[in-house]
Amino acid sequence: MDQDEAKSNENHSSSSRDSNPCPICLGPFLQESYLDSCFHKFCYSCILNWTKVVAGKHSPAPSSVKCPLCKTENLSIIYGYDGSSFQRQYINDSFELSSFFSKAHKYRLKCYYTEPGILSNVVNILRYWKSRKYLQPNRWLQSWLRREIQALLQEEDVEIIVHHILGVVDSFLRRGDQSHQMRTPETKQVEFKNLVSDAARPFLAARTERFVNELELFLASGLNIEAYDEVYMQQLGWNTPRLTGEGADVEHSEHTPIVPYLYIFDDDSDETD
Amino acid sequence: MQASRARLFKEYKEVQREKAVDPDIQLVCDDSNIFKWTALIKGPTETPYEGGVFQLAFSVPEQYPLQPPQVRFLTKIFHPNVHFKTGEICLDILKNAWSPAWTLQSVCRAIIALMAHPEPDSPLNCDSGNLLRSGDIRGYQSMARMYTRLAASPKKG
Repeated sequence: MDQDEAKSNENHSSSSRDSNPCPICLGPFLQESYLDSCFHKFCYSCILNWTKVVAGKHSPAPSSVKCPLCKTENLSIIYGYDGSSFQRQYINDSFELSSFFSKAHKYRLKCYYTEPGILSNVVNILRYWKSRKYLQPNRWLQSWLRREIQALLQEEDVEIIVHHILGVVDSFLRRGDQSHQMRTPETKQVEFKNLVSDAARPFLAARTERFVNELELFLASGLNIEAYDEVYMQQLGWNTPRLTGEGADVEHSEHTPIVPYLYIFDDDSDETD
Repeated sequence: MQASRARLFKEYKEVQREKAVDPDIQLVCDDSNIFKWTALIKGPTETPYEGGVFQLAFSVPEQYPLQPPQVRFLTKIFHPNVHFKTGEICLDILKNAWSPAWTLQSVCRAIIALMAHPEPDSPLNCDSGNLLRSGDIRGYQSMARMYTRLAASPKKG
């Protein structure tokens, strides 16, 4: 939106906003959010607070919330829509997310909000394809995939998706081993990315492309998960927290300061408590 | 706390602006306390409450609108779902079925609807409930009408 348009919105705000305010605070929408079945719109914090109140009255915590407007049962809140992707907060997860959603998951999810290509000067992807390093199986791949998909979907049980994608990756690499010797590394790379994209898209939707790039990056790095995380966060200039828990204070970030919008993002989503 | 104030202020402005929209309801905020409101509602037509004006007292909690307001009749009323002495109202949306999308204005409308459609199976006023449940519509209506005349009618002269 350009500035003029923003200004004219400002001028008309009192009439246009008031005619369609958030049903809970009656004010203008802050962080538009939608319930997943009826698509009624609320401020993110308004509807989240309401689901907490509802959950507080029931034990065990319910997995759905009735829409304050139409009483439809909804399983999740959709928010942070930026034109291509969105965040989803499951009603139940807001209370039990922490059980599986670790700091490591949080960090991985945050990575998807950074500019891609962060490791481009550390990992040489093309060399991975040229030197046919992909012929060596990567034994960390399954764990990496599980964490990555858990982080993206904010769901604990992703085994089926993990196996599906793992199967596609494996069969591609094995197939390439025997018959398609003649192809260039570049076609090989494109073919690989297309296959994995097709496999992942039904589950990851708008995040598929980035996911495939991250997957390729992880494979090309040849690192185990711990080392990979360390390099990744170092490149981002994030404080490398020991993902296991302790020792986070020891090492202070001497790199670039954390990009502010990551904090905003941190504030309103993927909370572990 | 801040959220409830902001929201009540929005409702206050809305009430000021749309005073004429619903002539059966007159909502007034306490001069010094935005958490205290009173409402005057007209008894619905074709009910024993017709012609009466009933006063309601609202006490709004700090968690509003996540918690419902407390409402009671200040005017005496003979109705199965209103406590005869305290004016307490038995209405699902003021308890379990509360939704933050309700406003003080819409709560008033719900109470007017309750006056027109009593629920004798969850009575706070047993005498009134028993009359209706035993099918003595005429008995219930004449009692309700009498109290409307006695307590809720504008004084003449």
